[in-house]
Parts: sequence; C-alpha cells; structure tokens
Amino acid sequence: MNRRTREYLRGRFGDYYRSADLTLPPAADRREWGHIPWTAGGTTMVRHQSLLDVGDLGGFLARESPRHVYFSAARYADPGANEMDDKGWQGADLVFDLDADHLPGVDPDAASYAEMLAECKDALLRLLTFLEDDFSFSEMEIVFSGGRGYHVHVRDESVRELDSEARREIVDYVRAIDLDADGLVTTRSERGTTRRVLRTEGGWGKRTHEALLSFVEELEAMDDEDAQERLQEFDGIGEGRAKTILGALQRNPDAIRQGNVEAGGPGLRLLVDTVAQGVVAEQTAPIDEPVTTDVRRLIRLPGSIHGGSSLVVTRLERDDVDDFEPLRDAVPERFTGRDITVELDEPAAVELGGETTKLSAGENAVEESVGVFLMTRGAAEKARE
Amino acid sequence: MNARHARYPFFAAAREAVGQSGVALGELVTTDDPAVSRALERVERALMAGTVESETPGEWSARDELLSYPVARILVSLIDAPAAVRKYAQAEAATAYDRFTDDFQSTDDGLKSTGTSTVELGEFLTEFELTDDVRPESDTQTAGQPRKDDPYRVSLGTYLTLVDPDWGDRWRLVNREVSEGDVRITREELYDLLREAVRRQVAEGLPFVVGDDAIAEALSAEIESLRGLLADRKPVGRIDTVVPDLFPPCMKQLLERAGRGAELDHHSRFALTAFLTGIGMDTDEIVAVYRDSALDEEEIRYQTEYLRDDSGTQYAPPSCATMAAYGDCVNTDERCETITHPLAYYARALDDEGERAGNAAD
Repeated sequence: MNRRTREYLRGRFGDYYRSADLTLPPAADRREWGHIPWTAGGTTMVRHQSLLDVGDLGGFLARESPRHVYFSAARYADPGANEMDDKGWQGADLVFDLDADHLPGVDPDAASYAEMLAECKDALLRLLTFLEDDFSFSEMEIVFSGGRGYHVHVRDESVRELDSEARREIVDYVRAIDLDADGLVTTRSERGTTRRVLRTEGGWGKRTHEALLSFVEELEAMDDEDAQERLQEFDGIGEGRAKTILGALQRNPDAIRQGNVEAGGPGLRLLVDTVAQGVVAEQTAPIDEPVTTDVRRLIRLPGSIHGGSSLVVTRLERDDVDDFEPLRDAVPERFTGRDITVELDEPAAVELGGETTKLSAGENAVEESVGVFLMTRGAAEKARE
Repeated sequence: MNARHARYPFFAAAREAVGQSGVALGELVTTDDPAVSRALERVERALMAGTVESETPGEWSARDELLSYPVARILVSLIDAPAAVRKYAQAEAATAYDRFTDDFQSTDDGLKSTGTSTVELGEFLTEFELTDDVRPESDTQTAGQPRKDDPYRVSLGTYLTLVDPDWGDRWRLVNREVSEGDVRITREELYDLLREAVRRQVAEGLPFVVGDDAIAEALSAEIESLRGLLADRKPVGRIDTVVPDLFPPCMKQLLERAGRGAELDHHSRFALTAFLTGIGMDTDEIVAVYRDSALDEEEIRYQTEYLRDDSGTQYAPPSCATMAAYGDCVNTDERCETITHPLAYYARALDDEGERAGNAAD
C-alpha cells in the first residue's frame, strides 16, 4: 500500500467516523482499548488505553481515524495500566469467534469471499443453537466481524467470572471434543430390570435422539421392504438386525421416543452410534478456541470499520441474522454514491453491494465502496484524480 | 454456640457465634486453652490424614471444637506454605462431606429431629447461595426416599465454577446433558459439588497476615512442629520394586505389627502407608497389607489416594528424625547410620542388592 492510498483511506475512514453513531459496549470505562493506526507496515497496536486516555471515543476515532479498533472482552479496575497483572481483572464477556479460515471443508484459496462468508453464517446459526437452546444465554450480541466471520459476545453475569479452563469446557462442548460416544447411552435399572437408554434430557445425547427420531419417522413413512433396505445401507446391519429393529419399532413405537434402545438389539445400538457420528459431524460449530479461552483478549469494536476489508463491524439483531448479507449490508453507506479512480496490477471482479464489478488492469473509475474495498485488501492503489 | 456450629464451623452462623461469644483468640492462644490443642490436632490431621475429625472426639466440648476452627486458620496462615492451605482446605471439605451426607440421610429419613446439630440440604444450599442455581428435577422425588441417582439441575455457571474437569471424563461438560442453561447431575454428584463449595469457602482468604505478634509467638512451637510435618513430605523419585526383605527395620517392624492385627496409631499408620506408596505399591496392594489389621479399609484407601496426590506428585514418608520422635525408629542397623530417611535406606539396599546380582551374573 503506498502513501497516497494510505492517506486517502485514513481521510475517508475519518469521514466515516465523523458521521457514524457508535454505541459503546456496556461498562466501556472499565475496558481496555486498542487500535492500529495507518502507518507504513502498519501492524503495531497501541493498547493498554482506558477510555480516560482516549477521551470521547467518537471524537478520538474522528481525529485519529485508526485502521482497526479494539476493546477488551474483560473489565478491569484500572484498564489503562501497562502491565496485565496491574489492571485488576473483574470478569470478561464470553466471546465466540467464527472465522472462515477455520471452517472445515472450506479451502480459503479456492472459495470466493462470498462463499466463505455464507459457510460461516451456517456455522453461526449452528453455534446459536448451543448458545440459545443448551446454554440459554440471554445477553448476547451477534456481530459480523468485518472480515471473514462472526463474533458472539455473551454478557450474562453467570459466565463473566469463568476462568479459561471453564471456558474451554464450553468450547469442547460446542465442538464435541472428547465426547464419550459410548456414554450417550446409559444403563438404567428400574423395578429389577435393566435397560439401555439414550440420555435424552440435553446435550449431545438429546441431539442424537432427535436425529434418531427423524430417521425413525423416515422409516415409518416407507413400506416394509424399503425400510429394510434403508437400514441395510448401514455398515454392520444385515437382514436379521434390520428385521429386529423394525420389529421393535412396530411393537413399541413409544419406547424409542423415550430413548429406550434396549429392544432394538445390537443393530439399533449400532444405528445409534452411526447417527451420533453424523450428528457430531453436522452440528458442531468450529469456533476458534483461543479467542474464547483468552479472558484478556481484545475484540474488534462493533460499528468500526475493518481496515483489511473496509466493511463495517456490524451488530446484528437476532431476527436479522438469516437475511444478513455482509457484502451488501456491511458496506459503509458513506462510501457509496460517487466514483473514484483506482489502479490495479491485475484484472479483478468484485462482488459488493449486490453487484459484481469487473475491473481491468490499470486505471479504473469505480464506485468508491468498490475502490476502497480493493485498496484495503491490498489489490489496488489510489490513482491520481 | 451449639453442636451444629461445632460440626460446620465455616457457616456464617458459626462465625457469628464465635464473634458474639466475646472470646478473644489472642487470649485463647496465650492461655493454652483446650481449643488450641484441638486446633493443632485439626491441622495435623489435615496434613497427615486428609481429615480434621478428632481421634478422640470425647475429649472436646462443642466450644473447643468450634473455637478450634478460627485458631486452625491462624495456624495454617502462620505455616505460610501453599501446600498447607491446599491440604487443610481439602481436609476440612472431606470432613464436612462426611458430616453433611450423614445429616442429609438422617433428616431425609426423618429418623432424627432436625434443628439441634444436623443440617438439611436446603439449608446447605442457602448457606452457599446456591438456592437459585440447584433444584431437583421433579418435585415428587423430594417426598420419597432419597436415592443417590435422583436427578438435579444445576445452572451452567455454577457447574463450571465448581467442577474441575480433571475429576474425570464424566464431569466434562461435553459428556453432560445440558439444556436450557442447566446441567443435569445426580444427588450424589451434587454432594461432590457441595464439598468443592466448602473447600473454596475454607481456602478463601488463606493464608492471611496474622497481625498480632503475640499470637505468632505463643504458637511458635506448634508452627514449628506443623512445618516439620510438611517438610517431611518432599516429593521423591519413584522406586518401583517391592522387596520386603530389604525394607528398613522401622518399616519391617510396622509391617509385622500390622500383619498380626496390632493397632497402629495414626502416625505409624501414616508412615507405613506413605512408605509403601513411595515404593510404588498401588492402593489394592496396600489394602492387602493391612488386611489382618483392625483398620478400616476405606480409610486406608483414602489415605493412599491422598498420598498419591492429584497432581501425580508423590510425598515421602516421615524422615528418620520424625520416626524417632514418634518412637517408631527401632532395631537400627549399620545401614541406618548412613541415611536420614527410610526411603533412602531402601533405595541403597536395592542398589547394593543389584550390585551383588550384577556381579553374580558376570
């Protein structure tokens, strides 16, 4: 990035911040603040600042126009202290980070930015099922990171004091790390008889049970012969076992709804294992562990601009998550409605603002948002106007 | 001051009772009050046996028992070693666990009238501000006979705060039924969480600075002896060979006494158990050694597990000096002159034996 580009971007980021209305996180004066300025090379973070050091945040951002802006997940007695140990830690938000870089099955070199973001949103929706259904968190802020993913900040009082080890337990739960698959089925004794039951009251057992029931419904909708065949598609289930399973389902359809897998014999238990494996593969959310377990981490400020994409770090209402399109909805409005000239070494196609813009090598006049997007990503330089 | 305060001296009401009694702790320690003797026993037992229960409960009044708790906290603070705080808090929690599990059982059975010395589960939860965070899964179960696998729900934050994932795979959150912000546990597991809550309560604020020099001075002899107990327990390298013929005379003697069913006092029992643990015997093997003795198997198991320590470090049995002080240093031989520790005796004996065997092979 050359000097002209850098100065142009710094000026325009400043214009954005002068007209933006940023909402501060709760207890902003007890958080540590940090930013990365627009300097050549530009990755040196200025941190250990308190709101007192920064002054009025809106004024600070308009004046300094930083490239990136962060605040701490933690609250401190003295957030401006230079040594972490002197800050006086007073708890931290529980933060989840989903990044396209960490998505299994996504090759960052091959997939387009839009494809990666779509995959990441699917992962976000999976993560939210854990946070909402399993953990019932109530104070959650969902944020598009401005880059390749999403953040969720959980601020329920019940989790603020948790240490790293406890937070790792939450990560492992969401990612099904060290899940004891055999433990999903337990032996229960009642009135002198023992029976094997799925642990259906929550967690991975409940998820497995739900998937098993929808598979059973699928079977029930088929005629016997098709159901037999469907079951025999599973490794280890032959004609005999398939018959036992179907027989048990028909004789006592309620048993399996209550999690009882005794009557289906070894075949049914094999089926449960296979279903459980599928559930784990499909329902985990690949959250980035170090972000969640680090109780002193700095996180990007919602409402600020991501200096590596020019997209706005966007707070999302829960109801808006489904329809949110980052490449349309996180484009700063300030950068639309006028054209600028940028210079490219190589031709490029940009999907942004609901349109695809094709650019050739050399000078191109494009809408400012497209130009700024390319410049922040290092794919273009500012041309002389 | 009542019997219940004495049983649960860490309860707020017990601490208040101490405050209201007008007893000045400084005066207690300078006048050799029985509460001080009991406090010393309390800490000794904590460091050596993992319990704070007295060996001679009949000897102490409820007052001695209750007052021994704040004095014990002073002692632990004056020892000024992280291991002392850790072991002490664990032992207080273990003892509280034994007491409250008994209490919950008897109050639930309706066998004892409540109020005097026992405590109910609900009161315990209130004491630890857990009332909103723990509840039985169904109302009906509270009416019937309590069972150890009765299901309870505990809030996620409380579960994660109290549970140490190192307790085992079944405690890992990933292996739990978690739903609507609650984690499902059994009644038996709830008791484990309460033990941990007690441990944290006891460890809270320890060690503190004892501002009154007169107290530190009056307790200096006690502190020295307690530090001695702790110093005896430095980590040692493992010896994994069991050859009773090569045991030091003191251990041979204790082993022989245990073998013929003689009563060993707790110092001796601790010494032998720690020695056997130190040379690599496992819990079952050690229990077998005591098979003919009058000792309680559970207690031996507990002590062995405790000596092995959760971090995997191992503690040595008492040194020769301590063995001598307790009158357990007997039948000394030539090798005893060259060592200061029973384990060193055994290690050297094994070396000598190995050398001889090696020479023979040549």
